[in-house]
Amino acid sequence: MSVRSLGIQVALPRFERAERDRVVAGVCAGIAEALAVDATLVRLVFALLALASGAGIVAYVGAWALLPAPGAPPVTRKRRISGVVLLVWSAILTMRGLGLADSLVWPLALVAAGIVIAAGAHTFGLGDRRAQVVGLVLMVAGVVLFVDRNHGGGASTVLAPGAVAVALLLVVGPWAWRLTRERDAERAERVRTEERADLAARVHDSVLQTLTLIQKNPADARTLARRQERELRAWLYPDREPAAGGTLAGAVEAAAAEIEEVHGVRVEVVRTGDAPLDDRLQALVLAAREAMANAARHSGVDEVSVFLDVDADGNGVSLYVRDRGKGFDPEAVAADRRGLAESIRGRMERVGGIARIVSAPGEGTEVELEIGRRLDGARQGAEGSAPPAPERK
Amino acid sequence: MSVPLRRVVLVDDHDLFRAGVRAGLGKTVEVVGEAGSVADAVPLIKELDPDVVLLDVHLPDGGGQAVIVQVAPERPGVKFLALSVSDAAEDVIGVIRAGARGYVTKAISGAELTEAVHRTADGDAVFSPRLAGFVLDAFRSGDPVADPELDMLTAREREVLQLIARGYRYKEIASRLHLSPRTVESHVSAVLRKLQLSSRNELTRWAAERRLI
Repeated sequence: MSVRSLGIQVALPRFERAERDRVVAGVCAGIAEALAVDATLVRLVFALLALASGAGIVAYVGAWALLPAPGAPPVTRKRRISGVVLLVWSAILTMRGLGLADSLVWPLALVAAGIVIAAGAHTFGLGDRRAQVVGLVLMVAGVVLFVDRNHGGGASTVLAPGAVAVALLLVVGPWAWRLTRERDAERAERVRTEERADLAARVHDSVLQTLTLIQKNPADARTLARRQERELRAWLYPDREPAAGGTLAGAVEAAAAEIEEVHGVRVEVVRTGDAPLDDRLQALVLAAREAMANAARHSGVDEVSVFLDVDADGNGVSLYVRDRGKGFDPEAVAADRRGLAESIRGRMERVGGIARIVSAPGEGTEVELEIGRRLDGARQGAEGSAPPAPERK
Repeated sequence: MSVPLRRVVLVDDHDLFRAGVRAGLGKTVEVVGEAGSVADAVPLIKELDPDVVLLDVHLPDGGGQAVIVQVAPERPGVKFLALSVSDAAEDVIGVIRAGARGYVTKAISGAELTEAVHRTADGDAVFSPRLAGFVLDAFRSGDPVADPELDMLTAREREVLQLIARGYRYKEIASRLHLSPRTVESHVSAVLRKLQLSSRNELTRWAAERRLI
């Protein structure tokens, strides 16, 4: 991060050569103006630096190359590069003039150049990646040189890899970090866009279509609204979604949906547990569907409750279809009513199940279907105390 | 039997739905206040101190849970009944565990809702068939339980819940099981207590999911 911010500073945006108060090219006055100090002070620094093997002169030329003429556009790339090179050179001259050993100065210069290039890719007009590579090479060279010059033999083989790793981390670290962040942001944005598109498509296909249909044909509003509600629920609460084709709960919910469509009633399905669909359970679903259809047709009310209860082991299944409509006397039903006799009771008995119909005039009807459940233990309590259910074989 | 007038606050972010509920409630229930957000609801309920709060599970600035958590410590007398279109178990279980006395779906008829308000005001639990289904699912055998008292349903409680899931009303359950309506109430209240206090995995998972949102 610090490397990155340095890159912005290298562009030296506010420095300009001065027009007034110039002695040679207006460099010192310009710098003094930008730093808000006295021009004489800046000139003094340059003059002192000139004593160190001429570093001040080199620095002056470098600064002249870097700083644009007053009011002129920023200097060209060539001038910028040569300016930076001259400044680095002057820094080297200065350090040597101050008596620092070559073994320290040159590696330091290489590392500094590497950092400047890696960070200031834009200043040099290099591609980001190429600048990173060049910077890295320079820094590694600097570090290796330093290690080589300052430690004889054995120590260098130990130190060099560590130093190289540090240099690598310095250059590659921020770059990799930025790359990861960009990729994450990009991915999040893509996911958001896809979600929005999905939502729009969903709303269009379902809700808007339904609203259009209702406007065209208000008589169907109830059925359409209910179908829409079911679809939206399945989408919003996927864990309640009719389980994929092959399960009992899925089949029961599909049957309930069908009855709602055909008869315009509301069928509330409550379920606990689920089991894969086999022939036995298929028969149970068909019997349940018939019971729902009966309730929708004959009860005179528009709500039917369905409760599907599957044992934890998936073997025993009970299904209840209940309405609180007008009810009937099961004993009095004509024997030719195929619905009850064949579609429900016959079907269940063929697969080893039981169908019970509990109803009385004015008290609603409940059809109980059971498969694979032993009629003992806990269930006996409920059934044993029930009012005499009209059993018919 | 004279039915006392119950004072109710309605908390739901949909005006249209509030109007529908108000119109559907019977004469024995008076809507004394309405709010559309957690921020509005909390001071309103504290000020009005109603018998029952009809509470939407989903609210724009938090959920029904947030209202309960902020009001309940100061107004222990106020009862909450959750009202939602949500079919998601974690939504429902979350609100119940926060302290609601029950949960009904928004498709409920006005008469049934009126009855549910009275039952809630009396301190009883209100289980819709769907909630009964959730509870039966959550308390299915299989998981090892830490506290049999709290983590398991008795055979009787299971029977009562199964009948609720089948669409039976409390009175019908009572006559079917040859119990007094009071006994049925106490079974349901016991289940509610277990629902709120049990540490069964399903329940804690549902509750945790809800809190994270």
